[in-house]
Amino acid sequence: MAEVILEMKNIIKDFPGVRALDNVNFTLEQGEVLALVGENGAGKSTLMKVLSGVWPYPTYEGDIYLDDQLVRFDNTREAEEAGIGIIHQELNLLPDLSVAENIFLDRQPLNKFGGIKWEELYHNAEKVLARLNMDIDPRIELGDLTVGKQQMVEIAKALSLDTRILVFDEPTSALTDSEVNELFTVINELRASGVSIIYISHKMEEIEEIADSVVVLRDGSTIGDKINIDQVTLDEIIARMVGRDIEDLFPSHDFKRGEKTLEAKNISVPDPFNPEKKLVDDVSFSAHKGEILGISGLMGAGRTELVNAIFGVYGKKREGEIFLNGKKLDIKSPADAINNGIALVTEDRKELGLLLDKNLVMNMTLPSIKKFSSKLAMDKHAERAVAEKYVDELNIKTPSLDVFVEKLSGGNQQKVVIGKWLITESDVLILDEPTRGIDVGAKTEVYRLMNQLVEQGVTVIMISSELPEIMGMSDRIVVMSEGKKTAELERSEADQETIMKYATGNKGVE
Amino acid sequence: MKKFIKNNGTFIALIFLVIILSFLSPSFLSSRNLTNLVRQVTINGIIAVGMTMVILLAGIDLSVGSVVGLSAVTVTLLMQAGFGMWLAILVTLIGVGGVIGFFNGFMSAKFDIHPFIITLGIMTIARGLSLVLTQGVSVPVTNLTFAEIGSGYIPKLPSLIILVVALVLGIFAVFKTSIELKNGEKVRNKARLTGGIILTIAGFIAGFFTFIGYQGIPIPVAIFAVIVMAGIYTLRKTRFGRKLYAIGGNEKVAWLSGINILKSKTMVFVITGVLSAASGILLASRLNGASPNLGDGFELDAIASVIIGGTSFMGGVGTITGTVIGAIIIGVINNGMSLLGINTFYQMIVKGFIIILAVMIDVLNRRETA
Ligand SMILES: Nc1ncnc2c1ncn2[C@@H]1O[C@H](COP(=O)(O)OP(=O)(O)OP(=O)(O)O)[C@@H](O)[C@H]1O
Ligand SMILES: [Mg+2]
Repeated sequence: MAEVILEMKNIIKDFPGVRALDNVNFTLEQGEVLALVGENGAGKSTLMKVLSGVWPYPTYEGDIYLDDQLVRFDNTREAEEAGIGIIHQELNLLPDLSVAENIFLDRQPLNKFGGIKWEELYHNAEKVLARLNMDIDPRIELGDLTVGKQQMVEIAKALSLDTRILVFDEPTSALTDSEVNELFTVINELRASGVSIIYISHKMEEIEEIADSVVVLRDGSTIGDKINIDQVTLDEIIARMVGRDIEDLFPSHDFKRGEKTLEAKNISVPDPFNPEKKLVDDVSFSAHKGEILGISGLMGAGRTELVNAIFGVYGKKREGEIFLNGKKLDIKSPADAINNGIALVTEDRKELGLLLDKNLVMNMTLPSIKKFSSKLAMDKHAERAVAEKYVDELNIKTPSLDVFVEKLSGGNQQKVVIGKWLITESDVLILDEPTRGIDVGAKTEVYRLMNQLVEQGVTVIMISSELPEIMGMSDRIVVMSEGKKTAELERSEADQETIMKYATGNKGVE
Repeated sequence: MKKFIKNNGTFIALIFLVIILSFLSPSFLSSRNLTNLVRQVTINGIIAVGMTMVILLAGIDLSVGSVVGLSAVTVTLLMQAGFGMWLAILVTLIGVGGVIGFFNGFMSAKFDIHPFIITLGIMTIARGLSLVLTQGVSVPVTNLTFAEIGSGYIPKLPSLIILVVALVLGIFAVFKTSIELKNGEKVRNKARLTGGIILTIAGFIAGFFTFIGYQGIPIPVAIFAVIVMAGIYTLRKTRFGRKLYAIGGNEKVAWLSGINILKSKTMVFVITGVLSAASGILLASRLNGASPNLGDGFELDAIASVIIGGTSFMGGVGTITGTVIGAIIIGVINNGMSLLGINTFYQMIVKGFIIILAVMIDVLNRRETA
């Protein structure tokens, strides 16, 4: 057995109204990849923030031992110096600075006059990036990179600090499949060179693939001991996480396809930066009552742009026609779409979905404020009652309805966004990556909810990058590639290979 | 306790200021001085109510001072031209305040230009217009009833009745708002209840001493009070108010949630324009005439009141109550320094420091909670 390099002992962390961590214990060995799993709000991110000095010592209780030495960090700087790096759930970089500056932020090589020695800086950055086999020019602005590459820069930054323990908090939620593979290659190399890794994810397949061992958190406590990944099945891990068995992740449904409801004809969206190109290129599809329509494709295929176009985000720049129940709609803004009974659960909850420094009630009722107000005044009691109902129904973990949503865990924030659109009781519900960042238990809840909505006559459209999800839930699948629709498949004809074939640009016949 | 001080910091600062001034200058606490002080506050306070909404949207309106000037000039000239008083007032409110506000809001929202730029332009244009209209000289008010609006009083007996009604309503409101929902149950917040009642009664006594002890409630103060209450109601209770907080919180999210940004923004600037015009009309009435330079620099006092009152210049956070306290602080500082014989030049310097201080406090608070 390798040497234990980190031990966290009896860690307790309280926030006003919640105990986020309640006696957490675990150890980490050199060169180990440890998966940290648990439901939304279980305390995973909080635990890692304690470890990395985001929450300094007296704000938590318990002891952290690094090489058998008790350590108490006052800030992230001290943790970094002790060799602990963290890639946060939300990326922490500065998009306007160059890659090299991001890697060596505050630690740039300086000349006598305090100016930056640029050549040396770029050279050093190249060296670190080379360790990751990354072909990234350290001179370009970070914001010009894809999310996957940005994450590599963040890893490079951690490595440049002689990191011995590297934490990944849900690193793959915004990565394409090939980027995930790249990431795993890097993680394997790091492990081989003796770096220990703590890996947080809600995606069980990833954990099976990359982790050596698993620690389960539930309601702020470690459940059982660390287990070797070879000695446990995924179902057992899930059962530990949620405290019960989950029979089938994708609850089956057996609907009868009803009449055509939403119909999009020849939708196109020009690329604002390149008039030659189109973000969405002449896409037509229709959705029916009594089915879930899945939209699949690789990242950047134009799926989000397509549903945004239907939702009125591009205003008059959108080309093509939209019909609902045979009636042509004139949608020029999200307000028009909402008024016509179309709801869109947006992809990026922080930027597009939530008012972070407002409470749950205000967030959840925002698109339907008309329902909760007369001409003169808001009906605050009715508002609260509805918010409360959906907090219950979606099992949103929160100390009260009055906390700012930024204080919720990532997955619970996602549920608030879903709740916000459910309250509108729209006829058409479009969900863009609805289960990103939410735990297995919550995922089945969302799926069940989708089924329930379909039964109630709501037209449900779901974009997802996860093939199992698309195949498990949709009755019909539209596949897109580079802005174009490349296929429309019935559930029976859809398998992984077929979808991937069309998603990678093989333009099939319809 | 620490939280209490943090939440009520400006109010506590105001009380300290009053105590210090009452020691430094014996005439400060006289009914006459206080009545004048409150009347002075109203001119800036009315504008600041609108400015609160603008800053809630993370915007700014630099044109308010020029609107004050142009409105004062317009209403005076209209009456000289034979318009009836009420018609002249109405035309000024809509034709000057409303139109300029609409232009400010519509231009900045429609073309996504920062209101700083648009309102800066309008500020100069409106000032220029006042100078053109008056040929650069002051114009006198000829209508005698008009002067009453700005300098008249509600007689003592009705004033007393108003104060008593306000006391009763105030205590009633304290009772209603001191109930909190805790875990679904209604709990009375005792501290807030007693605090609220003490404040209401103290307010009544102060009002009694100030107004009944002198000549009654000045008419502009009554108008201001109505505007403040309407403003508080709008922000706290109405759908429109909710939309403003949402837009200030994150415009994109609000838009994707179906809020018509253009409409809300335009509305806010129209309100601010109309309020500034009202302020200009009151000022013309008070001074019995208008000079084209009237209102010069008023935007600074209005912005300062809003920021001192705790509204964040980043948008999304703030209250009218805070702004009123901010406006009173500015008024007390102006009044106090005049009483102490401090040159107005120095007053400007002091006010500048206070604005910076208020912004610092906002920024530091933000850091702490982040
Ligand atoms: N800054 C904060 N203030 C108050 N409460 C917080 C804060 N950060 C986290 N919490 C609370 O602590 C609990 C644990 O949150 P944490 O973010 O660690 O969960 P998580 O396991 O990472 O969940 P997810 O999988 O959804 O990301 C939650 O109940 C959350 O609401
Ligand atoms: Mg988390």
